[in-house]
Amino acid sequence: MKTLILAAALAAAPALAQAQELVTRNRVGLPDAPNTLTFRLTAYDLYSSDPATKATFEDLFTDFIRARPDWKIETQLQTGNIGQEQARLLQQTQAGRGPDCAMIDSSQLALFKQTGTLQPMNMVFSDDEIADLFPYVREAVTNEAGEVLAWWWFTDLRVLYRDTSIVPDAPQTWEALREAGLAAVDAGREGVLFNGGRWEGTAFDWLAHFWAQGGRLVDDDGAPVFAEGENREKMLRAVAFYRDLVESGAAPARVTAITDYDAFNAAAAAGTAAMFVGGNWQYGQLRATLPAEQFADWAVSELPGPTEDERATGTGGWTIAALSPDEAKRRLCGEIAKEIYAGPGNAAQGLLPTSAAIYDRYDAYDGPEFDLFAEALQNGVARPGAAIYPEISNQIQIMLGDVLSGTAEPEAALDAAADAVQAAYDRQ
Amino acid sequence: MTARPDRGPGAGFAQPVPWLAPAVLVLAAFYAVPVLDVARLALSDATMVRPASGFSTEALRGVLSDPALPEVLGTTLIFVGVNVVALQVVGLVIALTIVRGEGRELPGMAAFRTLVLAAWVVPGIANGLIWRMLFDEAPYGTLNSLLGYAGLGPVAWLSDPQMALVSAVIANVWQGTAFSMIVFYAARRGIDPVLYEVAALDAAGPWRVFRSITLPLLRRAIAVNTVLVSVQTLNTFDSILALTGGGPGRATEVLSLFTFNTVFYNLDLAGGSVLAVLLFVLGLGMTLAVLAAGGRNPS
Amino acid sequence: MTGARWGDAATYALLGMLALFFAVPFAWLLSLALRTPAEVYRGAARFIPAEPTLANFGAILSDPAFLVYLWNGLKLSASGAALAVVLAIPAAYACSRFDFRGKMAVLLGLLAVQMISPLVLLVPLYRWMSALDLLNRDLSVIAVYGALGMPLAVWLLKVAFDAIPIELEEAASIDGASRVQTLARITLPLARSGIASAFILAMVMNWSQFLIPFILLERDADWPISVAIFNFAGSISASTTQLLAAACLIAVLPAVAVFVLLQRMIVSALISGAVKG
Repeated sequence: MKTLILAAALAAAPALAQAQELVTRNRVGLPDAPNTLTFRLTAYDLYSSDPATKATFEDLFTDFIRARPDWKIETQLQTGNIGQEQARLLQQTQAGRGPDCAMIDSSQLALFKQTGTLQPMNMVFSDDEIADLFPYVREAVTNEAGEVLAWWWFTDLRVLYRDTSIVPDAPQTWEALREAGLAAVDAGREGVLFNGGRWEGTAFDWLAHFWAQGGRLVDDDGAPVFAEGENREKMLRAVAFYRDLVESGAAPARVTAITDYDAFNAAAAAGTAAMFVGGNWQYGQLRATLPAEQFADWAVSELPGPTEDERATGTGGWTIAALSPDEAKRRLCGEIAKEIYAGPGNAAQGLLPTSAAIYDRYDAYDGPEFDLFAEALQNGVARPGAAIYPEISNQIQIMLGDVLSGTAEPEAALDAAADAVQAAYDRQ
Repeated sequence: MTARPDRGPGAGFAQPVPWLAPAVLVLAAFYAVPVLDVARLALSDATMVRPASGFSTEALRGVLSDPALPEVLGTTLIFVGVNVVALQVVGLVIALTIVRGEGRELPGMAAFRTLVLAAWVVPGIANGLIWRMLFDEAPYGTLNSLLGYAGLGPVAWLSDPQMALVSAVIANVWQGTAFSMIVFYAARRGIDPVLYEVAALDAAGPWRVFRSITLPLLRRAIAVNTVLVSVQTLNTFDSILALTGGGPGRATEVLSLFTFNTVFYNLDLAGGSVLAVLLFVLGLGMTLAVLAAGGRNPS
Repeated sequence: MTGARWGDAATYALLGMLALFFAVPFAWLLSLALRTPAEVYRGAARFIPAEPTLANFGAILSDPAFLVYLWNGLKLSASGAALAVVLAIPAAYACSRFDFRGKMAVLLGLLAVQMISPLVLLVPLYRWMSALDLLNRDLSVIAVYGALGMPLAVWLLKVAFDAIPIELEEAASIDGASRVQTLARITLPLARSGIASAFILAMVMNWSQFLIPFILLERDADWPISVAIFNFAGSISASTTQLLAAACLIAVLPAVAVFVLLQRMIVSALISGAVKG
C-alpha cells in the first residue's frame, strides 16, 4: 500500500504545477466556470495533512474537473467531530443552507434518510453496480423504491489481532479467546485488549458478539427490542463474556479507559499485549510502525464467536450523498463518489471497497490480509438503520463501563439501559 | 466601595438608563430571542430532526424523571465542589508564593507565572487528549512509569470510576488555575504593605500573618472568584469529553456533558433545553449561595 | 538571615513541584510534535523520540491556510473583546458612579448571562443569526463574543472605576465638562490598565472558543484557529496526532505572547482596585 501511495505521488509530481491552478483550498475547477456544486468533505483526502494522500486526490480531482469544464466544485471542510458535524449539517439543510453534496458517516446515514433530505443518484449507478454492493451496504444506501440515496464508498470491519509468537493459533471461540488471554498473561503479557471506555467504538466492537448470536437491536419499525425475549439472553451472554475476560484477568481492568484504537498500536509497538480487537485499517498502521521482524509476528483473524459457526463483525465507513434536488448536481455528486472515491480513492488509501468487483481491479488488494477481510465481511453487520441507534450505543457504553468496572450487575445494567432507550424512543 | 450617593458632576439626578442602554440593547438584539427560544424549546417536543409541534411538558417530565439525573447531578456537584476548592487553594498558594518570591527579588517568578497562564490557553479538547495520554494505564504509561520509578502505583487513573473523577479534576486544575492565580495575585498585591511591616515589627510568624492579615483581606476576592470559578467549572465539558467521554459508565458525566450528549448525540433538542435551564438554575443558585455566605453584596 | 534563606529554598521547592505539574503536559505536547507518524503510534511507550523531526512544525507553518486561521482567530477574538469592553464601559461607569434602584439586579443579571450554557443556545442562535442574515459573517461571532465577554468586563471595570477618586471628576465638572466628557478625558485614561486587563481576559477567553464559530461560520476559510486546529486531528490511513500537537503549540504561542507583553498591565489594573475589600 505504501509503495502504491509513493508511486501515485511520484506520478502526480509533474502534473503538480497544473494541479495547483485547478485545486485550491476551497475550490476545484476554474473560478469562472458557470455551474457550481458545493461539496462538504472530510479532511482525510483532498485536504489531508499527509502529502502523498493529498497529491493523489488533487490528481483525481483535477482529471475529474478537466472532463467537466463547465463546473467548479466549491469545497467545504468538515472537522473530525462527527456528532457536532452531523448536527450542524442537519441544521443547515433544514434552514436551506446545506451543501449540494456531502460526505456522511455511515453511522449517521439512517438519520439523514429519515429526514428525507437525501436525493436519488440512480442516473449514475447501474443496476449491476448496485447489485454488486455488499448486502448490508446495498440495504443501507437504497430505499424501498430502489432509489440510491447515498453511495457508501468504503467500509471497514473489526478483527482480532494476535502476536503469533505468544498465541500461535487464532482463537475461534469466546472460550478459546479467554484461554489464549490467560496463557498470554502467564507469559508476562496483557492478554486481550479491546475498547471498553465511553465512546462509540466500545459499543460497536462489542455488538459483534451480540450479532453473532443472531441478536437484533431494533425491530422492522425501528423500535428497540434488544432487551426483550431471546435478545435479552443474547445481550446478557455477550456482556458475561466481556465481564469474564476482565474478571479472569484475560483482559486487563484498564480496558474501561480505552477510548481509542491507537492505544492498541502503542501496545503492539511496546510489545506488551498479545491480542487486541481492532479495525482492519490498523494492519497498515502496524506495518508502518513496527520493525519488519516484529510485524511478521502479527496476524489477523475473524472475531471469535460463542461457537465457531456463530460469527459477526461490525462494519462502518463513509458515504457520499446528494442533498440538492437539482438533477445536474445530483449527477455530479454521484460521479464524484463513483469516479474519484469508490475505486481509485479506495486503492490509494488502502480502504476496503464496498463491492467485490473493485477488489479484483486494483493490485492494492493483493495482500493476504485482504483475503481474510473479504471473508470476514461475509459476516459483516452494519449499524441498524434506525434513528434510535445513537442512544442505544450510548446506553451500551454505559452498561459495559458499569459492568466491567464492577459498579453494576449485568441484569440491572441492561434493565437501566433498556429503560433509558425506551424513554428516549418514546420522545422521538 | 459600597454604593455611594450620586454626587458626581453633571445633572444632580443621574439617569442610569442611557448608560446601560448599549449593553442591554446588544444583549437584546443578539441574545434575547435565542434565550427565549431555549425556554420555549424546553416546553416543546422539538428534536434536531423535527421542529416543535406544540406545547408539551413531556421533555420536562422525561428529563426530571430520568433515573440517570440524580447520579449526574451528584457527579456534577462533586466535580464542581472539589474543583472550586482545589483551583482556589492551588491558585492562592501560587499567588502568595510568587508575591513572596518577587518581594525577595528571586529570579524565575515571571517565567513560572507564564507557564501557568499558558495552560489556560490550551483548547479544552487538546487538554483532554494530552492528559488522556499521561494517564495511560498501559504498562508503559507516562505517569504510572514515573510512579513506578518511585516504587509506587500503578494507579487506575481512568479505568476506576472514583479515580476517573479525581483525574478529571487534576486535568481541570491544570488548565483552570491561571484564572484564580491572577485574581489572588492582584488582590494580594493590593493589600497595603504597611500592614505587613507592622506585623514584622510584632515578630508575628508567617502563619499568623496569613491568618490575621492576608486571609481576611482576601475574603472579597475569594467570594467573587468562587462565583466566577463555579460558573466556569459548571459549564466545562470539552476536556472531560476528550479525557473519558464521561466514563467509565457514567462516572465522570457531569451535567454539561450530559446536556451535550443529549443535544449532539441523541439530537433531543427539547430535553437538552430543559437541561440547559437546569444548568442555569444551578449556576444562579450557587452564585446566590456564595454571595449570601460571603455576607455582603458585591457592589 | 538564614530564616529568609530557608524561606527562599522553600519557595523554590514549592514552585519547582508546581512547575513540574504544569510543565509535564507541555513536554508531552512537544514530544508528540517532534515525532514521525510511525513513532506517534508508540504512544507513551517512548517519551523522547528516537528520530526527532521538525517536519511537523514545517508542515503547519508552510500551510498558507494555517496563517489564515491564525489571523481569523486574532481578528475575531480581538474584535469581540473590543466590543465587550466598549459596551461595558458606560454600564460599568453607571454602576460605579450612580446610585439607582436595581443596581444589584443589573450586576447579577449580567452575571447570569454568563451562566447560560452556549451548548443549547447554539441551535436557536443559529436560527436567529440566519433570520438576521448574519450567518457566515464575522459580525455574528463578534456580536456573540461581545455579549459573552461583556459581563466579566463590567465587573472588572466597575472595580477599576471605583478605585478612581471621585474628586478628580468633580474638578472637571466645575470647569463645565459634561459627564460624557469627564468620562472620556479623566476617567478612561486613569482606568486604562483596567480596560486593558478586561480586554485581554476577554480576548483570551474568545481565543479558545470552539462551538460558536464552528456553528456560525460555515466556510473553513473563515474559521479561527480554535476550530481549524481539528482539521489536523484526523486521518483514516495515517496518523496526524503529531501535526495536531505541533499546531496546538503554535496556536498557544500568540496568546502566551499577549500575556507576556501585557501581563504587567493586567496585574497593575487588578492591583489598582479589583476585588479588594
